[in-house]
Amino acid sequence: MRPSALTQFRTLASEAILDAVRRRIIAAIAVVSLLSLMLVDTCTTCSGGEVVVNGQVRQIAAIAGWTGAVTYAVLGLWSIVLAGVLASEHLAQTLADGSATLALARPVGRGTFAFARLAGSLVIALATGAVLLGGTALFLSARSGLPMRPALMAGVSCAVGAVTLAALAMTASLYLPRIATVMLVFVATGAVTLANLLGMFRDDSGGAMGAIDRFGPPLCTSIALALSPWIDEVRVPGSPLEIAIRHGVWALASIVLLWAVFRRVELRD
Amino acid sequence: MVALELAAVSKRYGSRTALAEVSLAVPAGSSVGLLGPNGAGKTTALRLLLGFTGPSGGGVLLHGHDPMDPAAREGVGYLPERLVLPGRMSVRRFLRLHGSLAGLTGADRDHEIDEVMELTGIADRARDRLSALSKGLLQRVGFAQAFLGKPRLLLLDEPTSGLDPIGIRDARDWIAGARERGCTVLVSSHILSEVERTCDQIAVLHEGRVVASGPLVQVVGADESLEDAFIRLVRG
Repeated sequence: MRPSALTQFRTLASEAILDAVRRRIIAAIAVVSLLSLMLVDTCTTCSGGEVVVNGQVRQIAAIAGWTGAVTYAVLGLWSIVLAGVLASEHLAQTLADGSATLALARPVGRGTFAFARLAGSLVIALATGAVLLGGTALFLSARSGLPMRPALMAGVSCAVGAVTLAALAMTASLYLPRIATVMLVFVATGAVTLANLLGMFRDDSGGAMGAIDRFGPPLCTSIALALSPWIDEVRVPGSPLEIAIRHGVWALASIVLLWAVFRRVELRD
Repeated sequence: MVALELAAVSKRYGSRTALAEVSLAVPAGSSVGLLGPNGAGKTTALRLLLGFTGPSGGGVLLHGHDPMDPAAREGVGYLPERLVLPGRMSVRRFLRLHGSLAGLTGADRDHEIDEVMELTGIADRARDRLSALSKGLLQRVGFAQAFLGKPRLLLLDEPTSGLDPIGIRDARDWIAGARERGCTVLVSSHILSEVERTCDQIAVLHEGRVVASGPLVQVVGADESLEDAFIRLVRG
């Protein structure tokens, strides 16, 4: 009897998670994440006193929203990049080592296989992101009095961004060598972040960067939008609903693209 | 009833033609040897049958379905030529994974895993990691996974590769056992003696074309061996 696609997905996703856990890069990710959290712990202990910003003396507590938002956004973007880096090999490796062909000789759909691999890499990236962002949010809330809800919304936004980047990286990895895919992940995330920042801080953001900001995945914009209750001065262009829809559409389109491309890939054993 | 069918199938990779209008129908329950020199298109034919790639022309049917449809691959056991198994897994865990993908669950799955391990002589290596096994033992594990789910069609690509003489004889017995259960077998090989012993029909591929096909006794002349016939067919 042919098992259901959901049963096959569960079986393959479990294997994909174990594969991801066994990768050598995981140790490096764990160390970097731990160091980041320790750094956040150290930085957030300093909640009293004064600093000089643009020649003006300001209370640290008054700029806690800014520093908290920047810290949170940087760690959020790191979690998104991590999802892309992990996904850049997670499907391609199974094609290279022949395990994909053995599985796909069974009554397993190409989509089921690809989505299971995507889920495997995402579970690790999202778990890391949850620990990093959750820890940071707790520190910021307990020590600087920042509300938790914006952090939660920004965390969800990071998760959606991670799905987008992971699915796109996995698709690219079917054609590019791993190092090129990883480079692409960094370059693409950097370009989108820069475009989003220009869109937030300049009124005349045009050209390619303007187009990326208006039509690309709102990786940074969506985080800034979620964290806007922490920071008064930032103007996020576009309506929150439009940004949320665009974010969701990019994630969905990236998954569909992965499915459509993997269906046509020639498997070699 | 036809288990699998290639109907005027062509496959091109850029300017290179791997298969040119190949037609082949394998009746259910038969055992067919796909013969040919290196690069003749044997592996390409198997890849088309499993939906790993699509044809450039013609049609492929597996159990009456397009091989890209997962339903077509239900009840198919496959042993690839280049068998690379995940070294980090134990033998039993690897077989569990493939048992699950074949639709086996719970006690049935474990029972069948025990059966195929016993059959292929790897029962005492169940806990060993695949990375610790020799080439011959890995080939036995490959056979074991192909036999999971009691397949009605076996696609075997160079199945005796890496096996010692005892393993080769065992493999012959396993294939014969599968045939007795009514399983259709398609063996791709260039070891003629093996095909002669396990198959009742052959198809000879040369430069992407079928140059001869039919019952062994018809393709091979009365006063020649299979090797003589093969060389006659591929050298023209």
